[in-house]
Amino acid sequence: MKEYLQVENLSFSYRERKVLDKLTFNVEKGELVGIVGPNGAGKSTLLYLLAGLLTPEKGKIALGDKDTRFLSRRMWSQKVAMVFQEIPQNLELTSQEVIAMGRFPHLGRWQREREIDEEKAAWAMEITSTTAFFDRLFSELSGGEKQRVMIARALAQEPELLLLDEPTSHLDILHQLEIMDILLELRKGGMAIISVFHDLNLVSQFCDKALLLKEGRTLSFGGVEEVMKVEEVEKLFGVEFLETTHPFSLRPFFMPLQKIKNQSSRGIVHLICGGGSGSPLMRELLEAGFSLSLGVVNQLDSDEELARKLGIPVVQEKPFSPFSPSTMEEAYRLAQKADYIVIAPTYWGRGNIANLDLAERLALEGKAVLVLEEALNPEFDYTEGEAREKLRKIIKEGGKVVKDFSTYFSSLSP
Amino acid sequence: MNTKNKKGFTYFGLVALVLGSVFLSQGVGGGRYHLSQSLSLFFPSRLSPSEKVILFDIRLPRIILSFLVGGSLSLGGGALQGIFQNPLVDPYVLGISSGAALGAVIAILSGVYLGFFTIPLFAFSMALFSAFLVFYLGKIGKKFPLEVLLLAGIGVGFFFSALVSLGMFLAGEDLHQLFFWTMGGLWNSSWREVKMILPFLIVGAPTLFSFSRELNAFLLGEKVAESLGVEVEKVKKWLLFVVSLLVASSVAVSGVIGFVGLVVPHLVRLLGVRDHRHLLPFSFLLGGGVLLWADTLARTILNPVELPVGIITNLLGAPFFIYLLRKRKKSL
Repeated sequence: MKEYLQVENLSFSYRERKVLDKLTFNVEKGELVGIVGPNGAGKSTLLYLLAGLLTPEKGKIALGDKDTRFLSRRMWSQKVAMVFQEIPQNLELTSQEVIAMGRFPHLGRWQREREIDEEKAAWAMEITSTTAFFDRLFSELSGGEKQRVMIARALAQEPELLLLDEPTSHLDILHQLEIMDILLELRKGGMAIISVFHDLNLVSQFCDKALLLKEGRTLSFGGVEEVMKVEEVEKLFGVEFLETTHPFSLRPFFMPLQKIKNQSSRGIVHLICGGGSGSPLMRELLEAGFSLSLGVVNQLDSDEELARKLGIPVVQEKPFSPFSPSTMEEAYRLAQKADYIVIAPTYWGRGNIANLDLAERLALEGKAVLVLEEALNPEFDYTEGEAREKLRKIIKEGGKVVKDFSTYFSSLSP
Repeated sequence: MNTKNKKGFTYFGLVALVLGSVFLSQGVGGGRYHLSQSLSLFFPSRLSPSEKVILFDIRLPRIILSFLVGGSLSLGGGALQGIFQNPLVDPYVLGISSGAALGAVIAILSGVYLGFFTIPLFAFSMALFSAFLVFYLGKIGKKFPLEVLLLAGIGVGFFFSALVSLGMFLAGEDLHQLFFWTMGGLWNSSWREVKMILPFLIVGAPTLFSFSRELNAFLLGEKVAESLGVEVEKVKKWLLFVVSLLVASSVAVSGVIGFVGLVVPHLVRLLGVRDHRHLLPFSFLLGGGVLLWADTLARTILNPVELPVGIITNLLGAPFFIYLLRKRKKSL
């Protein structure tokens, strides 16, 4: 079976500026497609084109095998309905009156509303749970209620394709989920739905397909699981993300970390940590613009997991095992590339004390070693003073004790 | 009472009010025909020939004309406020009033005489000319952006007003006539004026009514209206054209009568009517009634002197408008 909506080589320009460039994608009935992309990517323009509110510069849009160039405004509105981003203010009509407007494309100039028009409006109200306040003034409704009325208005058009422009952007989390429920329900009923979202995770959790739009071009289009990958969304937004799995939907879940900066602009830091002592430092150092390396840490250590997710090179040892000489050698080679060695306030035991030997060796070679003041806390030492002794030696060999990084590094830079 | 009954009741009330007003106002005024004789309206054979003249050739056409003019202006105002989605728009926003005034100035100063209809004809032509000029200036590509139209209307209006002032400055003894014309009045009413304006109303009013659903859709904004299937630019063009005809014909027979077209649609909204399917007919009926009363007041209040009805409508309309503004700041 052919897809319901077919978009081929669609291009559009505002005056001289190219807004959309050769988009091609298809959408089937019963599919929920999410569009994501940074501001100015052309998401709204794409919806306007699909709604027939703008005329394509080039390319083709077909609805159910019909080329839309030959559709009248009225016919188009019978097939496609759109929910706009802006919600009208001061609209002194009852919600019922607003929703009934959706019947416009089905009514002749002199025709009165028929029974079927009332039935369709009632259906739209039911599915959006707006029946309860049918006689209340639109201007007096809450934000979530207003949005639902606007969706009901679009549904009263009986569209085959429903377009929504950031339907959740002004809503709190509960009302966002209400809107998503409505969309899922409609999808089940066989409607094709395309919606722009500002929230990646709504797309990855609820949509069937995703269209990643950047600077008017398709970055990728396809099933959510194939398209919503951390490298893709990082490219899309220019932001580093941490990808995990949503515990309920088992779909990818993205957490924004930081703006992507020029790599190693301020140098490389090798972090000696473990048991979570490195996690706050990783963030601080990355935000300050350093590149990181890490090690040695045991697998399953929380520092090791975070570093791996952040894409930081890590030297690992098997879980709960002392560090072997070969691992230490590996860590030494990695740390040699670093400009600074940083010792985090870590609990020292027989398992990880080899890390301090590593630091001492590097200090002897003249590498800048920074010891966080907190790391000297005797309570962190589970080696009967051996760790403290090693730390003292490191400091003697030129290691610096620092209170925190921001003061230290700002004293370095001119 | 459900909504449907309420609407029906309002229609009934308005029609009754208008008929009552016609009946009352035909009984008051100068001349030897009084309210006590009012019932003779239905038994004209009882009247003396002079009373018949007063009633049928002077008062009735004037009453009916005032109703039709008030109705046209309010209907036009209501429709324009709908198109422009702007509550401060009045029927003269396209420069029709100053265009008509300029037409009258040209007719009076040039001394051209083409029969009885000279001044209305000039006024009507110039009113339409100014409306088309505004259309032309307000057009960008194939579209009529509303704010550009509004500004073009203001620009053309100012320019024509300046020409009118210049004409009045040069008018000398004709100044009086011009002055009265620009204030608006119905003292020259006869059946001829009624016949002149009626065709525009018979065609124009139903046309405007038929666009009620489109006007409702405009309440949600132009883009939403378009997505609902409204051919926005086409509808705008048609509505502006029909309103221009309606208002130009009114101005041609009555001069520039202010505030009725601005305030009456708001009065109707104040009654809780927002749906244009009812807003437009209500505005027509109420506007007719209001101007009828204003004119009755204008011709009787300083008896035997007649005031230009425009003074009455401005005197009553302006404070009322300010009251509305203060009371309903939120929705205006």
